[in-house]
Amino acid sequence: MAAHTLKKSIWSIGRIHCHVYGVNVRNPLNRATYATALSTNHSSQNKGFPDRGNRGPFNRRSRREAGDPRTDRMPVDQDWTTVYPTATPFRQGSVPLPVRMGFPVKKGVPPEKKGNLELIKIPNFLHLTPLAIKKHCEALKPFCTEWPSALDTGAKCDEHFPIKVESKDYVSAGTSLRNPSARIVHLRVSLSACVNYDYAMYLLTVLYHESWKMEAWESEKTVADMEEYSWEDSPSQKNIMSTLVRMQVAGEGEGEAVREELLGRPEVQEYRDSVTRLKNEGESESSMHQYRDAVKKLLNL
Amino acid sequence: MAYLLPSLPYPTSFANTVYILFFYCIIDCMFVYSMCNSVCVVAQVRPLHGSGCGQQQEAVGMETRPETVSIFRTQENDPACQSEQHLGQYYTVPASHFHTVFPHGLPPRYQQQVKTFNEGCVMVRQPALELISHLKRADYINPTLRYLLYGVKGSGKTMSLCHAVHYCSTQGWLVLHIPDAHLWVKNCKELLPSSYHASRFDQPIQASNWLRNFRTTNEHFLSKIKLRQRYVWTKRESTEEGRPLGELVDMGVSRVKSSSDVVGAVLKELRLQAGGTEGGFRLAVAVDGVNGLWGRTTLKKEDKSPVAPEELTLVHNLRKMINNDWCGGAVIATLSQTGSLYAPSSAYLPQELLGEEGFDSMDPFIPVPVSLYSEKEFESCYLYYLDHIHFHHWLQHPHSQTEEGKKELIFLSNRNPSVLERLCAFL
Repeated sequence: MAAHTLKKSIWSIGRIHCHVYGVNVRNPLNRATYATALSTNHSSQNKGFPDRGNRGPFNRRSRREAGDPRTDRMPVDQDWTTVYPTATPFRQGSVPLPVRMGFPVKKGVPPEKKGNLELIKIPNFLHLTPLAIKKHCEALKPFCTEWPSALDTGAKCDEHFPIKVESKDYVSAGTSLRNPSARIVHLRVSLSACVNYDYAMYLLTVLYHESWKMEAWESEKTVADMEEYSWEDSPSQKNIMSTLVRMQVAGEGEGEAVREELLGRPEVQEYRDSVTRLKNEGESESSMHQYRDAVKKLLNL
Repeated sequence: MAYLLPSLPYPTSFANTVYILFFYCIIDCMFVYSMCNSVCVVAQVRPLHGSGCGQQQEAVGMETRPETVSIFRTQENDPACQSEQHLGQYYTVPASHFHTVFPHGLPPRYQQQVKTFNEGCVMVRQPALELISHLKRADYINPTLRYLLYGVKGSGKTMSLCHAVHYCSTQGWLVLHIPDAHLWVKNCKELLPSSYHASRFDQPIQASNWLRNFRTTNEHFLSKIKLRQRYVWTKRESTEEGRPLGELVDMGVSRVKSSSDVVGAVLKELRLQAGGTEGGFRLAVAVDGVNGLWGRTTLKKEDKSPVAPEELTLVHNLRKMINNDWCGGAVIATLSQTGSLYAPSSAYLPQELLGEEGFDSMDPFIPVPVSLYSEKEFESCYLYYLDHIHFHHWLQHPHSQTEEGKKELIFLSNRNPSVLERLCAFL
């Protein structure tokens, strides 16, 4: 009996001083250890090999089995904000959605979420559901001041605060979190709110006269710089002129007179309109049809 | 199941065959087996049109096999005589014409289909008819008219072009068919610097291939056209004025190194002589994938800088053909996104594919839109494939013969001719 208790106490000491017995204290198998006469030494698995900790080919002991993913135990009406309270990477065991992402291998589908690095790499906004944002707002409310009650109509706001500055923020999930459109800020002033009318008129006059000034480099503007397509002096005009001249449509006559006469014709005008429309508005079936009819009429088909 | 088996005494110049014609009722199609046992040529003696009482006559095709009456086939195999009443019907291109007119012009899947079905049937469609009517009525003293076929992928542009080419060749025009201009701006293994012009590049293999096919198509013209200028190839070789064009072409085929320049010379001669008063002929320039001439190429010079299309001799000369500064012929072109380089796959409108430069060069041209199959054309195509079930076991799936199956095909293919052909290919 005494020996038994002695063994028991030694055993209990042994659980603390693991190195004495060569047994890992943290019993991963969750097995109840019995203090029996025979030391049920689980180090039988060790087979006399030195303790390698959690490494090594036989580290079954230290390895905890993975439990069920959290998704299995999620009720439908759960509070999502507890699952993702802050911005964290994607955890496939916590997101109950059957998402797939990635390039499909031949005759396959995009890979599933389990072990999918693509899903982890991208930024996600799972922590910003509307409910979460509501909670944020609720939390911020004590720190906010109330809207002044006197400013209850739009007109009053305009009267007291005539200058409005609008800036936009963008939320996007992409290679870069920056959006160049976010750099555009609109500042609006209603002219009727301006008190300094004379100064405004002076500014406008100056701008008007400035706009008429031609810089030397403006003469280098090429066809490619033009904002709009103009048919005059375009290859299209040259082509059609030479074609018509060769078709002897204009009859006898030389040079300028013939050109003027040709340009004045309604078919040529129609043709000009259709080409301008094609180039300026871009193509569509209707503009193509218009061009077609114009060409047919012009070439007498 | 009563049917008649008359044997009509049609006089034909091919006396070794006997035509047996069958009368059918359209509502009640029946298959009758022929007793003709030798190969017949389908050159028609006189055109037959579908009559009002709904009966049609059909001659046996290229090989011995049973033929059925079909509302989707027409007897009118001459494109010149086809008109609106033949819209949606298939006409057969005679076997003898096949290899001469189309040595290289047909779409590859269609060529496979021709080999399988043993006959080449082309559907008569609106764009081709419109083209042919323009070609008929145009005044050939005026500068050349350019026609451009455009449409979504697989809608039948190349086939319409081939239909028009068939018309031109039956009318005795000289046909210059460039099967795909994109072949000249990509995948070229050998690029030689041109001897004629320092900054240009030659493509000997492509040029000699094209010359060979050109020779096949236009055999009969080669001896008639005489050169108007002396061409010097090397210090010792030259082609004199007055020699037939055939000699030039043969030289180009045999001497591969100078074949690109030969192509240039051939094009120049044809341009000068087309529509001429003495011995004048009409010239049809048919270019498939014309947007390849004005885009980018994938070819690189030795210092890895890209080659612009105008630096290629073949492209340079072809562009000159497409200009309308010559007369006595027509330029029929199609746009093609399929082989094109650096063009988005949804692009099909002319300006998108041609680019600014191309549009300005082609302007003014007559755009001819090619649309997907209409109801009637789809019916016709479906019946054509169904027809082959009995002789070629084409549409084998039993469901395809039902109404339900037909609706499925309409839905899946959206009446796109090439998609429908691919779907039916494995049914």
